[in-house]
Amino acid sequence: MAMAAARRALLSHLRVPVLARPAAAAGSVPAARLLSSATEEGSKGSFLDKGEVADRIVSVVKNFQKVEPSKVSTVADAHRTADSDLGVLGLCSVTPNAHFQKDLGLDSLDTVEIVMAFEEEFGFEIPDNEAEKIDSIKTAVDFVASHPQAK
Amino acid sequence: MPVPPPLPPRTPPPGVARPFASLPPPPPLQSRREVHVWYVCPDELNDHSHLDMYMELLSPSERKNALSMNGPRLQKDAMLSRALLRTTLSRYTNSKIDPRSFEFKKNKFGKPEILWRSDDSNMEWPWHFNISHTSSLIACGIAMDAPIGIDVEEKKRKTTKSILSLARRYFTPSEVDSLAKIADSDAQQKEFIKLWTLKEAYVKALGRGFSGAPFNRFSIQLKTNSRIQITKAPKVCNDSDSGDYLSENWRFALTELNSSYYMAVCIEDNSRGSENGSVPLGLKVWKTVPFIEDTLVSGTDAVKLIT
Repeated sequence: MAMAAARRALLSHLRVPVLARPAAAAGSVPAARLLSSATEEGSKGSFLDKGEVADRIVSVVKNFQKVEPSKVSTVADAHRTADSDLGVLGLCSVTPNAHFQKDLGLDSLDTVEIVMAFEEEFGFEIPDNEAEKIDSIKTAVDFVASHPQAK
Repeated sequence: MPVPPPLPPRTPPPGVARPFASLPPPPPLQSRREVHVWYVCPDELNDHSHLDMYMELLSPSERKNALSMNGPRLQKDAMLSRALLRTTLSRYTNSKIDPRSFEFKKNKFGKPEILWRSDDSNMEWPWHFNISHTSSLIACGIAMDAPIGIDVEEKKRKTTKSILSLARRYFTPSEVDSLAKIADSDAQQKEFIKLWTLKEAYVKALGRGFSGAPFNRFSIQLKTNSRIQITKAPKVCNDSDSGDYLSENWRFALTELNSSYYMAVCIEDNSRGSENGSVPLGLKVWKTVPFIEDTLVSGTDAVKLIT
């Protein structure tokens, strides 16, 4: 998975003492889990990690037929070219800024389908008055990431 | 390309050719029950001198907005949309108002409207407008004294979700039932698009946004004799006849355009006349290349009323 690859690539630039232990040690913890516990956010209850939400949102939109994949990049791609302050992972310093209408040329029927796709991806219904405000990847990410029902 | 000179707010600079003078005045809107639609086909508009001329009509913020779109195609469409609106409105003032002079505002729900300044020497014209885009056609509907909504969709437009799953999520139970009865998937898809355009046109006419009139709270039925009926979905779904009829206040027209599109138009009609809701909407449709050529297409095969 692209996200895991990105984490590995970034890890190699971080000095995380626990990784100095021999890999063969029993009970060694997978790097990804160490990384998430090293973040400032720590445990966020039932809210999804925003970076993960962003990647999933981007995937949903990418899969949407009409959109050319080249218009939307993944957060993981963006991380590889991001600035070097990588002390804390999980914060999306670079978020895909695609606006549905301005950047992707989507209309109202497209947007309605995409909202439905977000509902299926995250397993909760988005009320009409909220759906109406979702007009970009950023607003979609913000919305989903702020809803504890999102799975 | 030379930067255009800054324009004073209302009139073109002296000595500059007034291209808007060659917008022929349209036949007047005879009544509140008449709607005029003007449309452009962006793919056919590639003459750079024409496009430059259209770009000149936009306000600085419209220009900036158009250029903020991603890529030349979306930029051109955004620009043409504003140029179409401005030139169309200018026609209906018999060119007394320069296309560049119009100002716009949004109502509290985001619906665009003409902004008439109180210190304006121009009279306030009673025009309401609405715009609809598809990737290959941009349409502008005009009505007198009546909020208007218009929606155009490609007939064969494919959805990624199945028709019934979309209908179940967004339409009313009675609409889902009527779609489910259609065995042929092409016919079902077309019926969905017809309903979609009609519902969109109503919501846009109402001007309160998608959540102001949720699609699953009102039903639209296509009846015989071109009658289009709109009812509020009953809150308790045990009797489909118990819905409130909204038809007295709203008039619809649904047409097939150029065999490729469905176009729905909706206007509010608060006139209390003796006629019932089945008096059809008078509709005239032009294909336009602003300043260059106008073609009346209503009354030909290009515009077919759906019965």
